[in-house]
Amino acid sequence: MIKAEELTKIFKDKKRGEVRAVDHVSFTCEPGVVYGLLGPNGAGKTTTLRMLSTALRPTSGTAVINGVDVTKEPQKVRSQIGFLSGGTGLYGRLSPREMVAYFGKLYGMSKEAIEERIEKLFDMLDMHDFASARNEKLSGGMKQKVSIARSVVHDPPAMIFDEPTTGLDVMSSRTIVQFIRQCGDEGKTVIFSTHIMSEAMRLCDRVGIIHKGKLYAEGTVNEVLERSGTSNLEDAFIKIVGE
Amino acid sequence: MQLSNVVTIVKKEMTDTLRDRRTLIFMLLVPIAAIPLLMMGLSSLMVSQINKVKGETSEIVIQGSQFLPEDLQTVFSEASGLAIKAEDEFEGKDLMEELKEGSFEALVVVPEGFGSNVQRETPAGIDIFYDEAEMKSEFAERKIKDILTDYKDRVVQKRMEGYGLSGELLNPFAITSQNVAPLQKMAGKEFGTILPYLIIIMCFMGAMYPAIDLAAGEKERGTLETLLVSPATRGEFVFGKYIVILITGIVAAFLSLGSLVFSLNYMVEDLFKGMSKMLAIEFDLSTIALVFLVVLPLAGIFAGVLLSVSIFARSFKEAQSYVTALNMLIILPAIVSFLPGVEIDYRMAIIPVVNASLIIKDAISGSIQWNFVFVALLSNTVLAAIALVFCKKWFEKESVLFRM
Repeated sequence: MIKAEELTKIFKDKKRGEVRAVDHVSFTCEPGVVYGLLGPNGAGKTTTLRMLSTALRPTSGTAVINGVDVTKEPQKVRSQIGFLSGGTGLYGRLSPREMVAYFGKLYGMSKEAIEERIEKLFDMLDMHDFASARNEKLSGGMKQKVSIARSVVHDPPAMIFDEPTTGLDVMSSRTIVQFIRQCGDEGKTVIFSTHIMSEAMRLCDRVGIIHKGKLYAEGTVNEVLERSGTSNLEDAFIKIVGE
Repeated sequence: MQLSNVVTIVKKEMTDTLRDRRTLIFMLLVPIAAIPLLMMGLSSLMVSQINKVKGETSEIVIQGSQFLPEDLQTVFSEASGLAIKAEDEFEGKDLMEELKEGSFEALVVVPEGFGSNVQRETPAGIDIFYDEAEMKSEFAERKIKDILTDYKDRVVQKRMEGYGLSGELLNPFAITSQNVAPLQKMAGKEFGTILPYLIIIMCFMGAMYPAIDLAAGEKERGTLETLLVSPATRGEFVFGKYIVILITGIVAAFLSLGSLVFSLNYMVEDLFKGMSKMLAIEFDLSTIALVFLVVLPLAGIFAGVLLSVSIFARSFKEAQSYVTALNMLIILPAIVSFLPGVEIDYRMAIIPVVNASLIIKDAISGSIQWNFVFVALLSNTVLAAIALVFCKKWFEKESVLFRM
């Protein structure tokens, strides 16, 4: 379970002064449910997810992941989550096997556990053919699979996806979408951010609409549609944000 | 900090780095190949240049050659390497201007009555004009001077004999100077100036690409965030990366040293015949150990500074431009070993790079002053530690990691 409580992040910018990137945002994602954080670019989605994943420290407020507080025990939170974003890259000169094994080691897994996990993941994602090639030589779809395997090598109970399909071709983004769905089905807690409303309609059980750092609406997709009196998330978004 | 995590990080970064062609070029190829190539190029150029000039004949003009004593005229005309141009060739022209323009290499001006004055034992003078900026002209001047000096000695000898005195009278004792410097010191003087510079620059260049790749490269590839959300601490990442950069710097420095020792011992003999003895530096183990001792903390400073710059940079390109500027900052103090008369003192021993440059220079010439070595090591180690702490601070700072 992921629980954000009054999460706030203030950046100090030389030109713009204090910027409230995320402003008292609270929500809850249950296990087995895919939660979508929706909003345009610059809404505060990435900052929110970076605070959940402990890459950034909240200015105030906190988040609790599987019972562990991100501000108190960030180190412990990190083994509870898998993180993947559209911009996530690979080490070009390593092979998929080496790359996944490296992260397995960083997550404190034993050699045997890593071997076993790699076999399982590479079976599941059909990666054996290119397991020993260099990452830089792989196609876009293959690279995405490596990223996926990397993000779940330690089999985390919670998954955080930051704009996972941004900049990907059709095949790669299909692979990712299927994987997100699968994580939800496996009973993991899944949160992902996107600015593509159709993607959210297809994937999400619950959504939160974020704009200028504030959470404007939250609920199941149907609840949000009902409340706004619209038939799709795009219209709902425009209506709720009031532009 | 967990050692196992650091080891994991070092292993991965080392594998990654050793597969990078750019790193391999700067860490292995350049240090190994640069020195022999440089030496080969320079020495063959020098030798061929000198031989060319020596083998050529210099053209000279003797103004008023008719005033020279006859026997001296013969000596001039028979002198090897000198070709006498007739004065008439330049009739109506200013001989001094012609010399400046390089129509010939030297001009000898014999005043009227020179020969008879010498004969009559009246004071006489003779002038040589040459262009010191031209090697050929310098050689010509030397030859003319040799001929005239020889002739002068003969005249003196003859005059003294005329007075019934021995020629030895003017030569009460002989002076011979002999060089007692040990081979190591002589060689040190020749190559001690360039070697410290090369070692320091190679050390920096070897560390350069891994440093850029290991931090700015992570940002550019989008792998940085995955590291930040993994359970290994920021300190472990910084330390692991630091060690890898340190190793590449040291390896590059030592390959350049090794390559130099090899070239001096095996190549020089073919290149400079007869000079080989003087150049055969004996790098004993203690010299190598001292160089290692000096290079280690220096590589530590380089690794720390390069890594912090790389952490700060938003992209590979940005890091590269910072590093280019840094490179200039390193070259200037490293060049101090070239400057004659700059000796190590406590002030110099504190300044990083300068201290290493001077100590390596001294070590090669066999004179080691341990008090300065100690100060330099201390200063460099402290600076390396500060740089490392600085890297860690920056790697923990959100505004640096996620610079917009």
